[in-house]
Amino acid sequence: MSPLSAGKKLVLLGVLVAVMLLGLHFSAGSPGRLTPLESATRDFLAPVQRLLMIAGREVAGFFSYPVKLINVSRRNEILEGRVEELEGKLLKYKEVQAENVRLKKLLDFQTGVASQMNTEAAAVIGRDTGNWFGSIIINAGSKKGIRRDMAVITPAGLVGRVIRVSDSTAEVLLITDPRSGVGCLVQKTRAPGIVEGVAGGRGNLQMVHIPNDLAPGKGDIIITSGLGSVFPKGIPVGTVRETRKEKSGLFKMAVVDPYVDFNRLEEVLVIKSFHPGGR
Amino acid sequence: MSSLYFLLLVLGALVLQATALNFVSVYGVKPDLALVLVIFNGFLRGTREGAFLGFVGGVLQDLVSGGYFGMNALAKMAAGYLAGLGEGRLYRDKRVIAAGLTWFCTLASQLVYYLLLAMVNVQVPVAAALAGIILPVSFYNALVALPLYGLYYRSATKGLLKRGEV
Repeated sequence: MSPLSAGKKLVLLGVLVAVMLLGLHFSAGSPGRLTPLESATRDFLAPVQRLLMIAGREVAGFFSYPVKLINVSRRNEILEGRVEELEGKLLKYKEVQAENVRLKKLLDFQTGVASQMNTEAAAVIGRDTGNWFGSIIINAGSKKGIRRDMAVITPAGLVGRVIRVSDSTAEVLLITDPRSGVGCLVQKTRAPGIVEGVAGGRGNLQMVHIPNDLAPGKGDIIITSGLGSVFPKGIPVGTVRETRKEKSGLFKMAVVDPYVDFNRLEEVLVIKSFHPGGR
Repeated sequence: MSSLYFLLLVLGALVLQATALNFVSVYGVKPDLALVLVIFNGFLRGTREGAFLGFVGGVLQDLVSGGYFGMNALAKMAAGYLAGLGEGRLYRDKRVIAAGLTWFCTLASQLVYYLLLAMVNVQVPVAAALAGIILPVSFYNALVALPLYGLYYRSATKGLLKRGEV
């Protein structure tokens, strides 16, 4: 430490705290921008993070292998039962699918939303260093045409949206982050609401502001409503675990289990453009 | 020079937190290794150096994470200062004491972080914050401190992190 007097050090500390509080105040106003220094730091660390993610995954897999073996026999029996059950369901599903195709043709709907999207695949190379926020870093940035506010999905469902972009990386705000809010619908009743993240890494979601008379039931599917310009309509988000009244008493809220396992995300798709007409 | 080694160690811890440590998360919570290092440093070097290097380590984390600049700097500075209060008052060669101090300082640091979140209008329910993050991270950090403190203590008394060593 430099040989400054205690008084000077105290003043210096006070100045540092004041500067940080000011910085915090201003960065809170523009969370979407990366400073050149932050951008360069992130691009520099990206290859190292990619390697460490791969190494971490391999090491975790190696250590969990013996535990998996212990359970494999019991799991095999359960799975055999499940295969039989699913084969029955598959036959039923094919029947329903054929009916569905016919009905969709009748209504002139496009089959599936995937064909209406132009997507860019990217690997997850890092996560937020802390525990409060839910964000991931992916290895695709502005060089690949990624821009702020693009929606991010996996085949299972909605992941989040791009909030910051550098040349070769992008930061994705997960829908589980407390700063996230997504306009959604209950698929069955078409009840609108907003799906918000709850702090903590457990991947909890809650859907708020649901009209009292349209409260969803357990197991109901939640999809994006397409209101706003970020998320296309119809992307699955999760299923309702339980419903309760909001504190105000005017609306209902629901605890939602997401389709995506946010702790095991490896690859994602960034929706670069979306054509609801399928063209 | 030892401060530079310390900051390199913090940077390494941050890269691990962004990558490999996600595979050892328990109920979505991972240990904050950088904070553990800041607490060890404060415990062994006192309040002033603890607070200062906690602050610089936090700035590093803010740079790596992006977002709200200064939040980690202030929270880690508080942890470094608090840990420094234990210097000369607590037995520094007992890892259980270091783990207890880590628990307490992590708790305080996370509470500071929670208050700063409120300052930037990120609303997190108190119960979710305490049960989902603050308490689990405090216990996880204390657990991690048990095996790590011995290594850090040796390095700070005989190795690269010894004060005045080149």
